[in-house]
Amino acid sequence: MLNKKTTSKLLGLIIIASMLLAACGGGGNATVAPTGAPTGAPTQAPTEAPTSVVPAEEKIITIAWTQEPNSLNRSYSSMWYMSVLTDIYSCWPWNYDVANEPYPNLLTEMPTVSDDGLVVTMKLRDDITWSDGVPITSEDFVFTHEMITSTANTVDSAYPYDKFTISAPDAQTVVMTFEEVFTSWLSTLWQGALMPKHILQPVFDADGTIDQAEWNMAPTVGCGPFNFTTWESGSYLRFDRNENYWGPAPKLDAIVFQFVPDDAAQTAACLAGDADVCFWPPYEDIPAFRDAGLNVVTEPSGYNEGWFFNFRDMASPGIKDLVVRKAIAMGLNRQANTDLRLDVVKVTETFWDAMPSYVDPSITPWAYDPEAAKALLEENGYVDSDGDGIREDKDGNPLTITQGNTDKTERQNYQALAQQQMLAIGIDLQTFSYNSDILFGSFSDNGPAAIGDLDIMQWSDVPYFPDPDTSYWLCSDLPTADNPYGYNYFGCDETLDALFQQQVVTVDPEARQQIFWQISKYMHDNVYYLGIWEDGDVWIVNPRLTGVKFSGVTPFFNITDWDVTQ
Amino acid sequence: MVRYIIRRLLQAIPLLFIISIMIFILLQSSGDPLATMGGRRTTRPEDRARLSRIMGLDQPIYLQYVYWLIGNDWVQIDVDNDGTPDTYGQRKGVLRGDFGNSLVNRGKTALELINERLPNTLVLMIPAEIIILFFSLVVGIYSALRQYSLTDQLITTGSFIGFSMPIFFVALASMYIFAVNFRKWGLPYLPTVGMFDPKVGKTFGQVATHMILPIFSMSLVSISGYSRFVRSQMLEVISQDYIRTAYAKGLSERMVLIGHALKNAAIPFVTLVGIDIPFLLGGAVITETIFGWPGMGRLFIDHLTRYDTPVVMGILMLISLAVVICQLLTDIVYGWLDPRIRYN
Repeated sequence: MLNKKTTSKLLGLIIIASMLLAACGGGGNATVAPTGAPTGAPTQAPTEAPTSVVPAEEKIITIAWTQEPNSLNRSYSSMWYMSVLTDIYSCWPWNYDVANEPYPNLLTEMPTVSDDGLVVTMKLRDDITWSDGVPITSEDFVFTHEMITSTANTVDSAYPYDKFTISAPDAQTVVMTFEEVFTSWLSTLWQGALMPKHILQPVFDADGTIDQAEWNMAPTVGCGPFNFTTWESGSYLRFDRNENYWGPAPKLDAIVFQFVPDDAAQTAACLAGDADVCFWPPYEDIPAFRDAGLNVVTEPSGYNEGWFFNFRDMASPGIKDLVVRKAIAMGLNRQANTDLRLDVVKVTETFWDAMPSYVDPSITPWAYDPEAAKALLEENGYVDSDGDGIREDKDGNPLTITQGNTDKTERQNYQALAQQQMLAIGIDLQTFSYNSDILFGSFSDNGPAAIGDLDIMQWSDVPYFPDPDTSYWLCSDLPTADNPYGYNYFGCDETLDALFQQQVVTVDPEARQQIFWQISKYMHDNVYYLGIWEDGDVWIVNPRLTGVKFSGVTPFFNITDWDVTQ
Repeated sequence: MVRYIIRRLLQAIPLLFIISIMIFILLQSSGDPLATMGGRRTTRPEDRARLSRIMGLDQPIYLQYVYWLIGNDWVQIDVDNDGTPDTYGQRKGVLRGDFGNSLVNRGKTALELINERLPNTLVLMIPAEIIILFFSLVVGIYSALRQYSLTDQLITTGSFIGFSMPIFFVALASMYIFAVNFRKWGLPYLPTVGMFDPKVGKTFGQVATHMILPIFSMSLVSISGYSRFVRSQMLEVISQDYIRTAYAKGLSERMVLIGHALKNAAIPFVTLVGIDIPFLLGGAVITETIFGWPGMGRLFIDHLTRYDTPVVMGILMLISLAVVICQLLTDIVYGWLDPRIRYN
């Protein structure tokens, strides 16, 4: 048997070996901003990797971040968790305030639109610079447009840059000319996408693409209030104050986005004070945050969780019947189901609830009334003839409806409640959940949504917020063998299609609003979409932070005002 | 012995080839990497078609596999979809050391991503494995030598409790006790997540402190299971005649236990460890996810859920290769532990 002395020696050796491994391993995997000046930089703000010891007076905050970005070039990422970071190190021509209203940022005023709606002109401020001191000019916008629309670059989306041509009459003027009226330009253009021409043009000239450009992963030259400094893969992103920032000087010295993929761990990090800000915590943890004295901040983001009804040919006969859809709307206890999510979310009705001005005020929400739902089904021949609790249609087919969503726990919990409530009115709701990349697989990949396997689909979605436009219900976007990537999973209604096509070319705001009133009313009355809950942003903020505000479109719009009390 | 090793290595080549085909087909059939691209909305149809063409995802599976294996720098690609091939592909293929570019992190190759994370995983997993093996042996042997004593009963009870607890529960419970509540109670506390505090930097002390809870979580569950295994093996061996003979010859208890009993009891244990070691490279998915440890487990799960074939294939082939090598090493160790085994 091992004696105590030997055991102690072995334990000691193990501890020393572990410590040595810890000290030696894992190094060299961080992308750190170079300390030297970029080529051609007239004035360079030195950027350094974080030092090992932080002076006490430095104001650094940590934000727990669920998902690690896949790129820091906005055009190469569709991730929400990446797009909102652009407020920190990049710049938008216009930003959105806490009321989600746009205001000029890089511009002297909001862009002007020609009478025919085809030409949008931006006037840039003359004092705006990249963090290396190089002025931001209209050439940067032209270059960015060229990069996004170039077939040599595998950007995530060329939308909507492939809808217009661009020119730069002078250094401060950007002119965008659309082929046809494009009403949602304000909420889809230039959102953190601006690229520094003086950094990336040489890369494109040399490689024929910017796919492998170092700047994509380490945008050391930016135009936001903070500069990128470090990206430790899987661990954190760090941004330090941009000393050359042309706007108001940030009060914080640095911001760290620490990647914490697990919800419960994120809650623990915020409760323990290891993180100053958390985002999208599980709703059931909200009381714990409040008990700990942390601030819970909610902000509408335009996203709504909802039920999308399938009325395509392959949908079940039941769901194609308006009577059944109405009964479902009346039989689902949306208020009770949403109350479980505490007071941070509310029930919604239409796809546009976050933009109430586009919702017909005459719409009366579907009220929870299971007795009325049962009566409606009964009157229309849906009766439970065999006594199994499930109604049958006139041909004797059971009223079975399939419903599917992504495998998020919140949605699976909702499915269970909905299943019980549908059973109470005699509808057999068969539920399924999938990974999102399976649910939204293409028609050729037999994606359940694309091939019409599901009668009802649930997820959270948004129009081009804060613009109401969406192309989801266009007949031209039905997924088929010839159009495998089409994403109108719901059906073609020619009346609805005509309204959607009309709104997108209607320049007059009031006329467009009237069209959306028609759309929202028509969709509501036909139960093509049923709102479930408002899926706004929920932030947990440590009270040591001051000046914190969030916008639903550009969450960190006032990051320069954030401060900490020591 | 040398011929045996060479023969086994040669056998590994077709084995790895078959494994690669199977994994590739499974991955290709499991989901569409362009469906949402990590976003909250589905990808616009035009963009999906464009990216599918440029990334070669519109090609038949067999052709995609061929390109993965031997590259596509010998075929021309129609990048702009005008019907005329306009440039040669860029990929060299796995056989020339190119695992391809990540479909998710498009500025990085699969190998770059793996290289970033592998050291972090080894930093966590090697000490954890050493601690697990050491304590499993100590607890298992101690328990076997004092069979049915109070200590043995306590160890047995503790082992069953430890083995019954899922690792996510141990991880979260330890995090809430030692990081959240200890801080609340004014006691010395441990950090919740990460490999080190970014505000302080990657120092020796920081990494060591951040390792404690992940290693504790992994070790508690594994030691509970392995120590039972060691105990039963030791009980079987110490009742053998040759152990009695060794005592009769006057050997010390230490010599008998370590030189004879443990050496023989360790043979099945070596098999277990031989299977474990390759998977150290794959990291610990649950532990790394909960503690925010930037290792291979998280890399794997993050890219698997996005159907990033180059990265997932890279990780799985690395593990497959390690399995083959470790099994070979295990067989060699058998020969050292048990003189009856010969490979000639």
